[in-house]
Amino acid sequence: MSPLIEMVGITKTLKGQQEPRVILDGVDLTVDRGESVAILGRSGSGKSTLLSLIGLFDRPDDGHYFMNGRDLARIPERKAAALRSAEFGFVFQRFFLLKHLTAAQNVAMALVNGQGWLPRRHRRARVLEALDQVGIAHLAKQRPAKLSGGEQQRVAVARALVRSPSLLLADEPTGALDTETGNLVIEVMRAATDRGCGLILVTHDHAHAAKMQRVLSLSDGVLT
Amino acid sequence: MIRLSGRFRSALIIGGQGIRSRKLRTFLSMISLFLGVLAVVTVQAGAETAKTLRLADLELHIGKDGTRQMYIPSMPDAMDAALTTVAGKADAVGVMGYQAIIGEPNVVPINQGAAPFDNTDGGYYGPPMQMDCNPMTGECRPIKDEQAAQPTRGQAVELVLQGLTGDIRQFRPFRPVAGNWLDFSGDPSYSPRLVLNKEAAKGFTRYQIPAEMRVEGATANPTPRIVGVVDDGNSQPTAYVRVDEMRNWMPKTTANQMYGPGMQLLFAPTAGETEALVVRKITALGVSRDMLHVETINARKDIAEELAIIRWIFLGMAGLVLLIGVAGILNVGLATVGERVEEFALRRAVGTPRSLLAGIVLAETLLTGLLTAAAAIGLGVVAIDVGAGLFGSRVPQLQDLTFPWQAGVAGVIAGLVAGLLGGLIPAIRAARIPIATVMRA
Ligand SMILES: Nc1ncnc2c1ncn2[C@@H]1O[C@H](COP(=O)(O)OP(=O)(O)O)[C@@H](O)[C@H]1O
Ligand SMILES: [Mg+2]
Repeated sequence: MSPLIEMVGITKTLKGQQEPRVILDGVDLTVDRGESVAILGRSGSGKSTLLSLIGLFDRPDDGHYFMNGRDLARIPERKAAALRSAEFGFVFQRFFLLKHLTAAQNVAMALVNGQGWLPRRHRRARVLEALDQVGIAHLAKQRPAKLSGGEQQRVAVARALVRSPSLLLADEPTGALDTETGNLVIEVMRAATDRGCGLILVTHDHAHAAKMQRVLSLSDGVLT
Repeated sequence: MIRLSGRFRSALIIGGQGIRSRKLRTFLSMISLFLGVLAVVTVQAGAETAKTLRLADLELHIGKDGTRQMYIPSMPDAMDAALTTVAGKADAVGVMGYQAIIGEPNVVPINQGAAPFDNTDGGYYGPPMQMDCNPMTGECRPIKDEQAAQPTRGQAVELVLQGLTGDIRQFRPFRPVAGNWLDFSGDPSYSPRLVLNKEAAKGFTRYQIPAEMRVEGATANPTPRIVGVVDDGNSQPTAYVRVDEMRNWMPKTTANQMYGPGMQLLFAPTAGETEALVVRKITALGVSRDMLHVETINARKDIAEELAIIRWIFLGMAGLVLLIGVAGILNVGLATVGERVEEFALRRAVGTPRSLLAGIVLAETLLTGLLTAAAAIGLGVVAIDVGAGLFGSRVPQLQDLTFPWQAGVAGVIAGLVAGLLGGLIPAIRAARIPIATVMRA
């Protein structure tokens, strides 16, 4: 059986204000279904850049990227959007909740994205299930301003899980949280891997990394 | 189909949430756009109303669109043939024009040449004034002796007298002012019944006029009876009369003079047979077909051409005002997108296609444009309603004035175009927001 994702020789050069900088210089990465992987690395080593390539926010300059055997390295944006919706869930360091919406509506926005249509009743059921998975179903009607940081990040995790993705991408999800709530957030994400969801966790916290099945390190544009 | 409707419903939900969370902004863009759309609506409403009023005027003056007008050469046989052919026909009317003076005998009428009463001296209605110039001094003065030789001015008015074979109002919808219209049934009376137009009525109320009428070429002076007054849109004093009541007083020979009364026939668009019959009878008398000049009244087209340039000039100015409104929407739209960068990046991250995001931004500005158009049109409808109520009693044409639908269409188009122009750049911006840059930790 082929792995969930397989990256071979991925390179990425970013052209900023200064001269172009090679951020990724031949990254190889394989993640199986339901597998959890931690990625460590100095600040600025390119971890977020790598996640943005895996999550199809951006495309690599070179190399191959297979998902379920399909090459996504040069996939057009329209198809990438459909895959982001169907296959990936994203959690960021900042929570990116919309303040004018309730927790439930924030989770539902991943369902109201123009990719297929779920009737309101089904949406509600999926949203409550996702909120329940992260343990805050009782906060469904609250707006973000009324929630603690840990609760807000769990709403974000529920938003990432609501479409039952095959891979969860988390970019320093505990960076803005204290240790205890951070642990809680890592735990709800790890629990998702028990239901068959893959997880790539970018973190600076070695304790969190140790909870993953595999720990990799990014430096000099190469993953080891 | 399912995918399309799913997209559409997603757009409705996202757009609705966006507008609800930014009511004030939507309101502010509406204000900036309102004057522009209102200007477009006003210009269109004004132009259409002017057209309607002008058309109503021309209908009175010349005739309804589609009416066929035929001029009969001043030959007695031809005119006789024409008169007898159209007499009693429902779809055709003959009109004979006479000059008539009513009032004291042997005086110069107050309004020589049938001039309007407020303009009796000067103008092209009066006779040319003669000047006596001294060749030595170069000094000129009007000749007095000539006037002395003429009868003096007295209590008499000069009118254009229109002899009718039937009811002309089917072609020229005169508005009744007082009394009755002519009765064409029954035998002609020896005392001709007259219906005056408003200008003629003015002369009769202003001056004490004895009821004696002199008509050029008439054998005797009949005593007319005035039965009513109409508004015929004509500024020259005019009276309408049954032509058979006039002809009682006319020897047949008068019509032989080359400068005798002119004659005009009016045909309904459906009166082709009658028209052909008249043509056949007159050409049978040896009159050339070319001398029967016929034309179809098309005032609507003439007015449209007449008003087109003015309308475009004003629409151009309204367009400039609208452009300021577009700049307002654009400004608010760009600010909103700038404020929503994270939201749009996030929506793209969860799989919302960029085309949908652009569509939502555009839909919001289009909706703003439509709401503004609705407000401007509403104001226009109320304004015309109030205006017609206030001035309707003084200007009868305004009485049943309604908001022209063309102005409504123009308003909606202006609102949509402004929404499109103002929303396009923000929409493109929204679609181009890069996810990676915004979400990077
Ligand atoms: N949009 C960008 N343009 C140019 N350079 C960038 C851009 N974003 C990040 N970088 C640079 O790319 C490098 C990698 O960034 P990033 O992937 O965010 O690192 P990490 O997440 O490991 O801290 C950094 O040196 C950063 O300064
Ligand atoms: Mg980073």
